[in-house]
Amino acid sequence: MSVSGFYFDGRSARRYTVSLELRGDVLHVIGDAVERSEALADIKVPAPLGDTPRLILFADGARCEVVDRAGFDALLQTAGHAPSLIARMEARWTYAVASLLVTLALIAAAYVWGLPYAAREAAERMPEKVLVMMDGQFLKTFDGRLLEPTKLSSARQQALVSRLRAMHWPDEAAKPDRILFRSAPHIGPNAFALPGGTVVMLDELVMLAQNDEEILAVLAHEMGHVTERHALRQMLQASVVGLAMAWYVGDVSTILAAAPSALLETRYSRDFERRADNFAVRTLALNGIPASRLGEMLAKLEEAYAGKQQSKKESDQAKWMDYLSTHPATEERIRALKEQP
Amino acid sequence: MDQELRREPFIFTGRGGEYFRIWIVNLCLSLLTLGIYSAWAKVRRMQYFYRHTAVAGANFDYHGDPVAILKGRILAVGMFALYSVAGQFSIVAGLIAFVLILAVMPWLLVRSFRFRLHNTSYRGLRFSFHGKNGEGYVNFLLLPLVSYMSLGLLWPLAHQQIRRYLHNNSQYGNERFGLHAGPGLFYKPYLIVFGALIGVMVAAGVIAALLIKGTSLPSESAVAVVMGLVLLAYLAALLLITPYLAARLQNIIWNNTTLGPFGFESHLRARGMFGIMASNFVLIILTLGLFKPFADIRIARYRLENMALQVNADLDEFVAGVQVNASAAGEEMAEMFDIDIAI
Repeated sequence: MSVSGFYFDGRSARRYTVSLELRGDVLHVIGDAVERSEALADIKVPAPLGDTPRLILFADGARCEVVDRAGFDALLQTAGHAPSLIARMEARWTYAVASLLVTLALIAAAYVWGLPYAAREAAERMPEKVLVMMDGQFLKTFDGRLLEPTKLSSARQQALVSRLRAMHWPDEAAKPDRILFRSAPHIGPNAFALPGGTVVMLDELVMLAQNDEEILAVLAHEMGHVTERHALRQMLQASVVGLAMAWYVGDVSTILAAAPSALLETRYSRDFERRADNFAVRTLALNGIPASRLGEMLAKLEEAYAGKQQSKKESDQAKWMDYLSTHPATEERIRALKEQP
Repeated sequence: MDQELRREPFIFTGRGGEYFRIWIVNLCLSLLTLGIYSAWAKVRRMQYFYRHTAVAGANFDYHGDPVAILKGRILAVGMFALYSVAGQFSIVAGLIAFVLILAVMPWLLVRSFRFRLHNTSYRGLRFSFHGKNGEGYVNFLLLPLVSYMSLGLLWPLAHQQIRRYLHNNSQYGNERFGLHAGPGLFYKPYLIVFGALIGVMVAAGVIAALLIKGTSLPSESAVAVVMGLVLLAYLAALLLITPYLAARLQNIIWNNTTLGPFGFESHLRARGMFGIMASNFVLIILTLGLFKPFADIRIARYRLENMALQVNADLDEFVAGVQVNASAAGEEMAEMFDIDIAI
């Protein structure tokens, strides 16, 4: 049997119409100005690819293109040239659907388990020195812009620092060693821990607190973030998600890529908040401070931030907002804290 | 050459459903192998598009070696990681990494074009790229920097120079490509776009100002509303501009490109391009990305089927030129950093 195709010699662009024949283990290419015989072992037959022409590649750069794929298969399958597994998978819808399901499962698994695991492992291996350097960089960027010098008296600062230093921690490594005071009228009452363990306490928070125990409770929460390197992990996870999104949607729109990745990251931070709350509860218990102090402080913070606009109409949106917000709904956290002894 | 020109249209026979199967199987395997298979997947993808593209009764083909592509990808990921990590440590470290990457980028781009063209064939003959590294640094680093410093005023000139460098150094068999479009041709669509953009933003600003005039908004929020509307008009205009520029520039470039005695024709329409890009965009979002392979096919078909080769000599007279080997590293790096200059 024979099949017709085109032959190109690899030295000129000339197209020869030829017919291909298989006699035993030898392929014969016969045309007007071509007569070539090659042992099957010396030619390459690339796997089929969709409806594209089938190819035969010769060692010297010459090639044959055959549009008649069925004829080509009939000619060469007798010689043991079955299509590769991948080519067979690409040709069937059942494999395509199976691949789609496996792909979705893989992406979901990577997002739910793989990414947090990898970020935790990477964060734990990050040298302490680097983290401290990052803290310095952060302060350099924000001091004089968002952060202003503290207005607290040095006696007040001293008193807070010494109370903090006297605290017991579930993990001695969690002990805060750099505590800075700043004022930030634009941020409002807050305290935050930088990835390297530097704790920044804002005047507004100190003012808002009714007693020092509330301040210590917030600090214990922040140290929960520090011991587990939440900020760093969050950063690593966010950059991987962002990168994957940008790569995937990149040619559609880079602006669009930012939105879903911001949504996807929130789940992590909600977990982190809960873990930091648990850490704070353990720390407070060690120091004989009731866990409710943190809850009280959270309630006050929420009041300070959003107090005015809260109305009953919005409660329907609460669940949706809970998903969107970086902090799990404060109410939910306060409730969880109240359940603590 | 007094011979009559014969018009040979480009024909693209790829189909969305067929490509979807190839795409999803290869994506799945790439994920299962933690990205290693992606190099093989890329070869399949390139081969699918090239082998489905025909002109004058013959197809193109792609010959990239997956192992070379994989090495390039590993290098690209390494460099990208270095850059992102360095930026987190300190501004200085980030800057050093940025400058280092900038310094090797032109060299990598030259390698990338060499790799791509060397691994493209038509009628059994390879293409090749002979651009020199020095000129690569001028075209891929110096000119973009200068046009950046000129606030983009020199960008059309830089774009023309880059295309000229790419085309004039590209070869099929032993025939050179040539680009004969001067900077003026490149300035025209860019100036139209620039003018339209300014006009739309001014119009939006005026309309917003008139609308607000009647209301008693405090001046601060009035300014915010006007700015918001102007920004919105700008984004809407961008949606129209991207397909317009893509269509016009492809036409300018290919209508003025020669290959030895041959010429090219390109008749893309901004309207057609907009229709495809806009519907692709919407469908990709609605299908959470599953429409991507169909979108790729649609855009490739539109771009190719509006192109033709003008033949006035016998194609068969081309003979193979000398072939060079090129590493895949450059090409992968360009893909990773998305500074790929579209053809």
